[in-house]
Amino acid sequence: MTGRLPACVIDVGTGYTKLGYAANKDPQFIFPSAIAIKESARVGDQTARRITKGVEDLDFYIGDEAFDATGYAVKYPVRHGLVEDWDLMERFLEQCIFKYLRAEPGDHHFLLTEPPLNTPENREYTAEIMFETFNVPGLYIAVQAVLALAASWASRPVEERTLTGIVIDSGDGVTHVIPVAEGYVIGSCIKHIPIAGRNITSFIQSLLREREVGIPPEQSLETAKAIKERFCYICPDIAKEFAKYDSEPSKWIKTYEGINSITKQQFNVDVGYERFLGPEIFFHPEFSNPDFTTPISEIVDNVIQNCPIDVRRPLYNNIVLSGGSTMFRDFGRRLQRDIKRSVDARLRISENLSEGRIKPKPIDVNVISHHMQRYAVWFGGSMLASTPEFYQVCHTKAEYEEYGPRICRYNAVFGTMT
Amino acid sequence: MILLEINNRNVEETLLLKFKNALAGHKPESIDVTVADFDGVLFHISNIKSDKTKIRTSISLKFYKELQEHGADELLKREYGDLLIDPEDGFNVSVLIDLENIPDNYEEIAQKIGLLKRNCFASVFEKYFDFQEQGLEGEKRAVIHYRNEETLYVEAKADRVTVVFSTIFKDDDDVVIGKVFMQELREGRRASHTAPQVLFSHREPPMELANTDARVGDNIGYVTFVLFPRHTNKETRDNTINLIHMFRDYLHYHIKCSKAYIHSRMRAKTSDFLKVLNRARPEQKSTEKKTITGKTFHRKE
Amino acid sequence: MAATLKPYLTAVRHTLTAAMCLDNFSSQVIERHNKPEIEVKSSKELVLNPVVISRNEKERVLIETSVNSVRISISIKQADEIEKILCHKFTRFMMMRAESFVILRRKPIEGYDISFLITNFHTEQMFKHKLVDFVIHFIEEVDKEISELKLSVNSRARICAEEFLKRF
Repeated sequence: MTGRLPACVIDVGTGYTKLGYAANKDPQFIFPSAIAIKESARVGDQTARRITKGVEDLDFYIGDEAFDATGYAVKYPVRHGLVEDWDLMERFLEQCIFKYLRAEPGDHHFLLTEPPLNTPENREYTAEIMFETFNVPGLYIAVQAVLALAASWASRPVEERTLTGIVIDSGDGVTHVIPVAEGYVIGSCIKHIPIAGRNITSFIQSLLREREVGIPPEQSLETAKAIKERFCYICPDIAKEFAKYDSEPSKWIKTYEGINSITKQQFNVDVGYERFLGPEIFFHPEFSNPDFTTPISEIVDNVIQNCPIDVRRPLYNNIVLSGGSTMFRDFGRRLQRDIKRSVDARLRISENLSEGRIKPKPIDVNVISHHMQRYAVWFGGSMLASTPEFYQVCHTKAEYEEYGPRICRYNAVFGTMT
Repeated sequence: MILLEINNRNVEETLLLKFKNALAGHKPESIDVTVADFDGVLFHISNIKSDKTKIRTSISLKFYKELQEHGADELLKREYGDLLIDPEDGFNVSVLIDLENIPDNYEEIAQKIGLLKRNCFASVFEKYFDFQEQGLEGEKRAVIHYRNEETLYVEAKADRVTVVFSTIFKDDDDVVIGKVFMQELREGRRASHTAPQVLFSHREPPMELANTDARVGDNIGYVTFVLFPRHTNKETRDNTINLIHMFRDYLHYHIKCSKAYIHSRMRAKTSDFLKVLNRARPEQKSTEKKTITGKTFHRKE
Repeated sequence: MAATLKPYLTAVRHTLTAAMCLDNFSSQVIERHNKPEIEVKSSKELVLNPVVISRNEKERVLIETSVNSVRISISIKQADEIEKILCHKFTRFMMMRAESFVILRRKPIEGYDISFLITNFHTEQMFKHKLVDFVIHFIEEVDKEISELKLSVNSRARICAEEFLKRF
């Protein structure tokens, strides 16, 4: 860091945008990836309508401020992890940089993130915006899953730092299971699970609705969310857990205190079985979703079995959690146990089939939890962007001018050597 | 957002959160954050000697030495008083807040610390505004290298203070757009009678800087603000400083926004052209039909 | 000035319509190759004389015809520096998206700002007269768009300057 200003790390997700300067532990700003714009009632299609004569295009708000602004229409430029509206995205970045980060983009390198299976065209469009509009000196577009893997390095010794592993990324909308080998995503083996934070919240909400009557209906969602975040955990065995609660209710049942937003009166909610039943839907999806019944551990196992045979062992050995919905206590432990069980069962079958002649080497299953889990992607980006190597793999403005946006189609993997 | 904010929202919010947490009785957590600001400014918020209740905010400006010559230290002492402590290694100014005894006006303090950069800048302007007020002429011109290769000159005359910014446009296209902006700034006086006079020159420094080391080059622009006593008197000077120290960033911000605007227009036009081109394709006759009950079927001919 | 626009466009339209007479033509040199002859120029007899239609010094269209392809290059009016960069930005922006434009050439011919390449395959799949319409529409619109862009940039600059100076 010889007088060089820190790089900016911006992770624009479907739900939330995380931004900050490299080398910090937490993102400086976390806000919804929303933008509030004034919409005119002019005729014509959407793009033509937005074209204005003056500086009206500067009149917009992003993040939390977008929801507070009255008279504006709130839009989400990112859908399912992919940028849908580049005009809005460009303006979104404008404020990210100038209002929140307060960086002169000409002075800082930038690290942006992309979902797995992003299209190369999208990378070109990103490069076009960053280099042409903002004149950034250097840009690197990193895959979120790879950053999440890198984030797990913080909790392990240097020699075990690899870029091979399975990332379980669970946010609010959807959960992905993404295998990564040597820094490259195995795209054909990615699996999506339609169970994530939002489903747990609504499941808890439905449990509460049947039992608790004191919750004001308009606050039931936020109550459920608060309960999920504060009290929920993963249990090793539901039957035993039920018994535990029944024998000693006073020890296990907690009370949630909320305040009615209208009458300002306090209401109490007893939090019982939903403490472990809520997150349990990861392992027993049939509780809440009759169409989808495969537990997460089985999906992870299947994903690994689909991958090339030479990476399966390292993949089992490095299952990394990322995202807010993996933060439940003992989530990692339970997942590890369940996967281990099915792996061992498979080994036993092959041993039996060979009638004891072949003794397979046991497979290590390792699920890694670490304290950077919630913003793992951002943290991984922040860590990588603070290494000197980052500046070598960045695409520079000179390269962009020489070759054009196509240079950003490919972003070199780095960080394994350290 | 037309004008940029002058305070550092990042620093302010971080400190506010710390204050609020401490007031709510939460256990203080350790902190170590480095953030940047415009003009190569770095902030570092950390704990002193791992005491989690003592939070130190430090700022580093590359050109602090030059500001010191113009009384930055005195100004900061006036603004921050006993919050100031010995600067941290590698930084120029540090202020300390103690979570164990939080003053009632903590919001104000957080805001004040967010304004650190502005206040550092203010010293040089205040000094020259004073010169002008006292009618001192012939004082040496202040030269602040506020960025690499970009310089700020301040000079006081009995009836005016001139502030000259030199700025570099890294991109060739920016030079052209920047020129349009600077031209309009010169004309902008017509819109407001209270505005200072603005001059600009491209490539070569203005006459005032004739025999200095001011750079000459295709991508360099000089903007001169002539501030009159109505801008420099005690009541309005804070506002003047707020505006003028952000000028360079303001200019570059808007050049970038214009480019974003050009992009969005081009996107609209391109999709428009595409539509016209696609008219040349014969329409695919869709064989998919719907029954009244909503079922779809393909009609085979 | 405006009086010259109409005859200019009419001339381009008629020339293009005539030039759009394209046939499938396999390479005479390499077996099983079928390349736009105007690009490969494998034989003199397959390429016709190019036509330049100019409205004035700066605005002109070059139409090069061959047996199976026609290349249209357009030089766009650029009165000053700002129009020049806007024009450059805009044509580059379009050429970046040449994939979806089908008939757009990724690089302009030297001396021109943007080129289109229409082959017999295009004329077989698309209406010829509509393709001509598109080129004419493009020539008309691109001038308009660039001068509008210039105006908007100027007015933005004015608003920003006034906004800044008003606060003093």
